[in-house]
Amino acid sequence: MRRLAAVFLVLFFLVSACATMGLAQQSGRVYGTVLDRQDKQPLPGATILFARERGIVTAQDGTYQLNLEPGNHTITFRYVGYRPAVHQVQLGANETLRLDVMMDPEATEIDQVVVSASRFEQRLSELTVSVSLIRPEALSSAHIGDPKELMNKLSGVEVLDGQASIRGGSGYSYGAGSRVLVLVDGLPLISPDAGGIRWRSLPLENLSQIEVIKGASSVLYGSSALNGIINFRTASATEMGESKFFVETGMFGKPRQKDWVWWESPRMQTSASFSHLKKYRNTEVGIGSFAFIDNGYRRLNDERLGRLNLRLRHHDQQIDGLSYGLNFNGGINHKRDFILWEDAWQGALKQDESTEAELHAGFFYLDPFVSLVRDGRFSHDLRMRMQASQNRFPVTTNNNSDTRSLFTEYQTWYAVGDGVSLSAGLMYYLSQIRSAFYGDHDGRNAAVYAQAEADLLQGFKLVGGVRFEHSALDGVSDKVVPLFRFGLNYQAGEITFLRASFGQGYRFPSVAEKFASTTLGAVRIFPSPDLIPEKGWNSEIGIKQGILTSNWNGLVDLALFYGQNKDLIEYVFGVYSDPHTGAFDMGFRARNIEYSRVSGAEIEFRLINTYGRFNNSISGGYVYMYPVEFNPLTNKNTGVFLKFRRHHSARLGLASAMGAFEAGLDLFVRSRILNIDDVFLNPLTRETILPGFYDYWQENNTGHFLADLTLGYNIHPRYKVSLAVKNLTNAEYMGRPGDIQPHRNVSIRFSGSF
Amino acid sequence: MNRFIMILLAFLALLVFACSDDEDDRSERFKLLTGVTWTSDSLLVNGSDASGPGQMLENFKGEARFREDGTGTFGAYSGTWSFAANETEIIILTDSLMFPLTTKIAELTASSLKVTTSFPNFELPEQPFSLRMTFKAK
Repeated sequence: MRRLAAVFLVLFFLVSACATMGLAQQSGRVYGTVLDRQDKQPLPGATILFARERGIVTAQDGTYQLNLEPGNHTITFRYVGYRPAVHQVQLGANETLRLDVMMDPEATEIDQVVVSASRFEQRLSELTVSVSLIRPEALSSAHIGDPKELMNKLSGVEVLDGQASIRGGSGYSYGAGSRVLVLVDGLPLISPDAGGIRWRSLPLENLSQIEVIKGASSVLYGSSALNGIINFRTASATEMGESKFFVETGMFGKPRQKDWVWWESPRMQTSASFSHLKKYRNTEVGIGSFAFIDNGYRRLNDERLGRLNLRLRHHDQQIDGLSYGLNFNGGINHKRDFILWEDAWQGALKQDESTEAELHAGFFYLDPFVSLVRDGRFSHDLRMRMQASQNRFPVTTNNNSDTRSLFTEYQTWYAVGDGVSLSAGLMYYLSQIRSAFYGDHDGRNAAVYAQAEADLLQGFKLVGGVRFEHSALDGVSDKVVPLFRFGLNYQAGEITFLRASFGQGYRFPSVAEKFASTTLGAVRIFPSPDLIPEKGWNSEIGIKQGILTSNWNGLVDLALFYGQNKDLIEYVFGVYSDPHTGAFDMGFRARNIEYSRVSGAEIEFRLINTYGRFNNSISGGYVYMYPVEFNPLTNKNTGVFLKFRRHHSARLGLASAMGAFEAGLDLFVRSRILNIDDVFLNPLTRETILPGFYDYWQENNTGHFLADLTLGYNIHPRYKVSLAVKNLTNAEYMGRPGDIQPHRNVSIRFSGSF
Repeated sequence: MNRFIMILLAFLALLVFACSDDEDDRSERFKLLTGVTWTSDSLLVNGSDASGPGQMLENFKGEARFREDGTGTFGAYSGTWSFAANETEIIILTDSLMFPLTTKIAELTASSLKVTTSFPNFELPEQPFSLRMTFKAK
């Protein structure tokens, strides 16, 4: 037996030695230094990926060395603030190859490309309107799974219980209608019934960037873009392909007011996501999925969500520039929204049982498209979005609704020559609502638009556009509405750009505002079929200054804005007659009551800096607004502040990465809300709707300060563990009345990309 | 350069067009309502006169004036008024009333204004008060 073991041992060593010698003889070596192309400084800690699961980082002096099998290899070099560099190497047996890599800094911040402002690609610097750009990393590094949360942390934007307001354009109207249009790849994602933003349908798993236009954009995007747009752009696939995933779990701590604690088991949030994007020959294939379970920091307020999206785009080989494909996104959402609290004393985090409503919702959209693009010459795009949703309330079945909609758009763009380009489009939208809550309604909306852009003199650019919009609901047509926009951009210096713009906005009332008829706990909602569209305009002048030094890359943007809107729809408490019975009762009804003027200034900045081994970024903004009502009959300001608006809001974000470590700190300040609905202050009604609210509001409507902290560690070039503490100081603050916002919560995430 | 000036002028022309005022907001009903001073004729709650001392509509007794700037006096009340529901309703807002009073216009001519509304009955919530107010041009 011993002899047998000895023979095996000898054989094992022989085989091992041969194998090792064979490898030693065959493997090749790649070495070199990774440098900044501009200043030729070495880049320590740059990531080098050379196989599916393998990667290393450069040493302190920027050098690296790889031992690779003979053959063809794709080596990817990555470094924060630089464009990834991809090199193909062919390595022979025993060959040693020197590969010094020069990395280019990312395009300067001012050269980032956006599409939303004029519906074709433009650099940030040449725009005539204010656009904020958000990279998807902002979502992942801050553990944000809900786009509402991200938007609420953006300079000049506030989201109150799902309703977005840009630069004070909106207040809060109980979830009906939106003056901010949300788009996915340029196509609207607004529910046909409530007219609200489908935040939970947005495919965050696979984004290239989010573009936010701060100002009326109805000329290009029609109704609902009265106040601005948020365009979520999905990412294109590359041959290299990328798969990403994360799993995250988090827990709420205790609120400041210990009396508010109602739970015995910890309040948890868990989510997971996976996405894969790769170009197979001539076809881009993408898949993304997201699952989320939140058992809620408030009683009777929880959510479960599952979402799946697919992306297919085929690039035709016969016809240059022709591509076509299909995008799909769909999901299921079971939730109980928070409507009214029990009381301010011990029940602020407990939903009043009378407003508890469990919702089982399903939704999907399917986007077929064909596109023919000849770079720099022309483009033709034909796109559709078929959308369907189903809301089921197992208990309050009267609130059920089903919607279908079909959005079709053709758009063309031509470079006419000499710096002049023309774009034009046709849009047709059909919607169908079947609901006891809203009634059955069929709507259609048609529009034609055209726009010209002209580079007339050196650095001087003009934009002008017009749109004719028509809408009909249940066979009753509205008049055709013409809308205009103009803009000017002047390059005053190498990286200094001045701009001015004027744009008109328009919004048809949503079906919810016109027809919703229900009772939510103590709150009665009356229909208002005679509502007329909201309309308005806004203007701004701005300066965008690029910053580009050996250490700093970034931009600073300053804008002065002024706009006014007429016939804005608000819910007003009063005594109204029931349209069916004729009986009068107290409750809310939507009315064209608000005439608003908002003037203000916004400064926004983003700076990226490298300091030794640290890669840092500083970003933020500050907005001052003066939001006031005016009397449409005299055209004079009344001195009454608009509801649910503030004077000041500011954000400061600091992020730093060193080697495998990352850290981020986001600080937010908002001043107090200037005015709210009278029903919450009126002694006759205030205690009926929100017990204890009035005293709470008098004491606590003082503004708030928030801090979010994130820490990350790359345990491997492809895998990261991160921790986020949101609301670090455990601040207690409220969104719309009765809507106490999340207190301190901690989450941990494991993520990877390969 | 000529082309530049032409295009600039075209933009300016469009701008003037775009910024020009909407159609005249002063509708026929607006002119009828604001054109005269009204005097209360009958103030009824559930079909009975309620304009006497201490009664519900006492303070609406006398003159009502709907001014063109949206302000007005309505008997002893002063505040603001506005049309709603495609000018079929008048909403009166004063500090003296706890919430906006929405009234339906039953008749509006050069000489006569008749409105109806309802007011909650806090003692008998199921039986709100039915109000009818008529005015004559002074």
